[in-house]
Amino acid sequence: MTAIPPRARMPVPEALARPNVVAPQPYSLPTPTRFRLSNGAKGLAYDLPGQYVLSVRMAIPMPLRVEPREVEGVATIMARTLDEGTARHTSVAFARLLERRGVAIGCGVGDSGLSVELDVAKHNLAYGLDLLRQCLAEPAFPEDEVARQIATRLAEIEQERSVASHRAAAEFAATFFDPDARAARPVGGTADTVAAISREAVVAFHARHVAPAEATVVVAGDLAGLDVVSEVEATLGQWQTPAGYLSPGPWQPTLLAEDRARIVVVDRPGSVQTELMVGAPGPDRHHPKGWAPYPLLGFLVGGSPTARIDTVLREDKGYTYGIRSTFRPRRRGGIFVTAGSVRSEVSSDALRLLLDVLDGGRDGFTSDEVDQAAQFLVLTAPSRYATADTIADEAASLSYDGLDTEFTSRNLGEVARMDADRAGAAYREFVDGRWTVVLVGDAAGFVADVRALGRGDVTVVPN
Amino acid sequence: MVDISYPICERILPNGLRVIVSQDRTVPSVTVNLWVKVGSRDEVPGRTGFAHLFEHLMFQGSANVASGEHFSALMAVGGRLNATTWFDRTNYFETVPKGAMELALWLEADRHSRLLEALTQENLDNQRDVVKEEKRQRYDNAPYGHALRDVYATLFPEGHPYHHPTIGSMEDLEAATLEDVHAFYTRHYGPNNSVLTLVGDVSPEEGFAAVEKYFGPLPPSAVPREEGRMPPLPPLAGPVRLERVESVPNDRLYIAFRLPADATPEFHAVGLALDAIGGLSSSRLVEHLVRQDQVVTGLTAHPMGFAGGVSLGLISADVSAGVDPSEVERAICAELERFAETGPTEIELESAISETERAWLSALASHDDRADHISHYAALHDDPAYINTFLNQLRSVSAEHVRAAAARYLTPSSRAVVAYLVAHDDQAEASDAKDASDASDAEMIVEESA
Repeated sequence: MTAIPPRARMPVPEALARPNVVAPQPYSLPTPTRFRLSNGAKGLAYDLPGQYVLSVRMAIPMPLRVEPREVEGVATIMARTLDEGTARHTSVAFARLLERRGVAIGCGVGDSGLSVELDVAKHNLAYGLDLLRQCLAEPAFPEDEVARQIATRLAEIEQERSVASHRAAAEFAATFFDPDARAARPVGGTADTVAAISREAVVAFHARHVAPAEATVVVAGDLAGLDVVSEVEATLGQWQTPAGYLSPGPWQPTLLAEDRARIVVVDRPGSVQTELMVGAPGPDRHHPKGWAPYPLLGFLVGGSPTARIDTVLREDKGYTYGIRSTFRPRRRGGIFVTAGSVRSEVSSDALRLLLDVLDGGRDGFTSDEVDQAAQFLVLTAPSRYATADTIADEAASLSYDGLDTEFTSRNLGEVARMDADRAGAAYREFVDGRWTVVLVGDAAGFVADVRALGRGDVTVVPN
Repeated sequence: MVDISYPICERILPNGLRVIVSQDRTVPSVTVNLWVKVGSRDEVPGRTGFAHLFEHLMFQGSANVASGEHFSALMAVGGRLNATTWFDRTNYFETVPKGAMELALWLEADRHSRLLEALTQENLDNQRDVVKEEKRQRYDNAPYGHALRDVYATLFPEGHPYHHPTIGSMEDLEAATLEDVHAFYTRHYGPNNSVLTLVGDVSPEEGFAAVEKYFGPLPPSAVPREEGRMPPLPPLAGPVRLERVESVPNDRLYIAFRLPADATPEFHAVGLALDAIGGLSSSRLVEHLVRQDQVVTGLTAHPMGFAGGVSLGLISADVSAGVDPSEVERAICAELERFAETGPTEIELESAISETERAWLSALASHDDRADHISHYAALHDDPAYINTFLNQLRSVSAEHVRAAAARYLTPSSRAVVAYLVAHDDQAEASDAKDASDASDAEMIVEESA
């Protein structure tokens, strides 16, 4: 065991003066071409020169509460089986058709609906779009593939249970939302509901809830020389809404649990860290006083190693690798959530400090803090939205709220004009000191200290 | 087929700094990407984890920059930034609006040569704690968290630079003194051991002038990494295995192989073989084990390219509940043997190439990732234009070439297996590695579980 031998350092000249920064030009996200397909779907096309892989996204709104209670997770199984065989091709043959041309398709379900992704080199766009149409319009849902996706989901449930951050998120949802709300339970269903899913349930769910009528299609990338509207119409435009389709209707607010302001400890003996998740209600993007303060507040409270939380918990105390805060909009209402892990021995002190920082925001933020956070969000936008996939993802996710990237540009303008008064008032509107707290870790080591903090009733549950 | 030709202009400063500028005016930002040729492979016994610890310390201030100011100064003008450490290198990068490029270069230059003035015991102690939490979060408190560490230790011999993971040993970090970390910096950090790439809204003339201004005065203070220090490491002479019985959600097998060094025709060929065998949704193992027999719920196969004479090929399989993992292992070995005899079909080769093509184009889509790729191949393979030529190299690989590479590198007799097995109630949790009844051909490594 030898250390590296010491070595004389070469003299280093004095640094030059710190250079000034030249302010950039104002920025807006690229403007899309808006179109409508004959089947009713909305379309957005973004021409981004130099982006050779095109990103196609389709957002199909579908509130998860339409899943029958006894087979929750059926939407997820349906989504995962869409590209596992169609009327014309078996599962293996379909995978080969995709991969021979380097076409990637992915389908997943979130709490807003079915999100479909297609990434394809420019010259294969028509080919990829037709395969995507086949997935959506004529999936075969082969019995053995449905069974396989169910088995895979059951294994995944166990894997999620073993990952502290997943386990914390699941317990948080169960504590925060009203027990009757769909959002209180996992998007992909639980072991008993997933095991109860049949092929018939998958087929029926697809027929009732998956259709183009209220969907949005986004195509982003280098579109020079392509007639995108015609190509999309010739493929996805030919997908017809089935007769039995049930429109999702307007979004409903999700009920929250009356006793949500409490502390739940998920006991995992032997854990070397404790996962923390702390949350409160937040706004959605249609908040009457505007959405703009909230991305900024999330960033300045817990968006970087120099944000308020990590200044204390990481850079001063060394308790954590990093803790992050974000205001997460849902379709009606939202969540302000903070999460990260700390070493076991300091769990209760870390929670105390974290709640102090979060509550401390009620006293307001300095103009410097607000200006710096605003500058970050506004000035990073050109590079954050530089690629086909980021633009397409943004447009698709906003479509669930009836918005598109014009909202993002407008919102950035509002962020640029943010001042400390408005930011402080926006924070106080949602943060009232009542927190839902979940800790996943070795309860024996810290639960008494957490009780002694006096920050709410403490319940210990098994992993 | 897409032919790409990103502009690549290169200049080497008198102090040894290799500078590459790739102009792309589609977005009004510039990525500054710096690769330092120091990674965990350069660490000496008893001092593991230093390269990564340094990556953290580089954000704690330098002669003219306060602790944390590298982050705050750049973020406040619209910079996104971070750094990472791996076996072969440490990289530092920021993407900033064009008008902040000089500030980014000034900050990088300051910590590249003037870090030690600000490196205090307090910073060292704090970041050591942060790194410990990073290790606990990523490895100690995660199911299968130590699997890759086990793979490296099983596949590469004791004392080999890739034998230990980048996160290193906490005991070593604990023992680190301020003198140790000063010595590490003095040896490895300096313009003559680094590559700096600019990608974005900057012309080569502007870019070279700005880099020259801030980095030109720095002395060539590092001891540059000796090229050729790591000789090629041939495939394992016989199978090796390690089993851990732990609290994991399902049995998982990691089957690893020594591959040739990255950015070589042989590496491309064996990478395509891994795709055809298990890396694609239409690959053989996925079709047989995942779709047909359903003895595995998920399977991946991919190469991890390293520069130092050897790379790593990894197949991992999540074994379905109630299925004997040794049955899965036998099926994988049988498929490897078949592939080594017959090679890929035309469709398999076409698919593997097409998928790699799309992934490569996607990886070059953003300024930040493109800059990172340019620095990578300039720093480790002396080929800054590799991003433009890789796809043509890949397309020139023949089916016979793929078969021969698989026959040499992916044979069951040269596999290292790390098995994570579910601890049942009658087994002590985190027990010692146990004997494997179905692996009579394998040398057993017995290690204490973490």
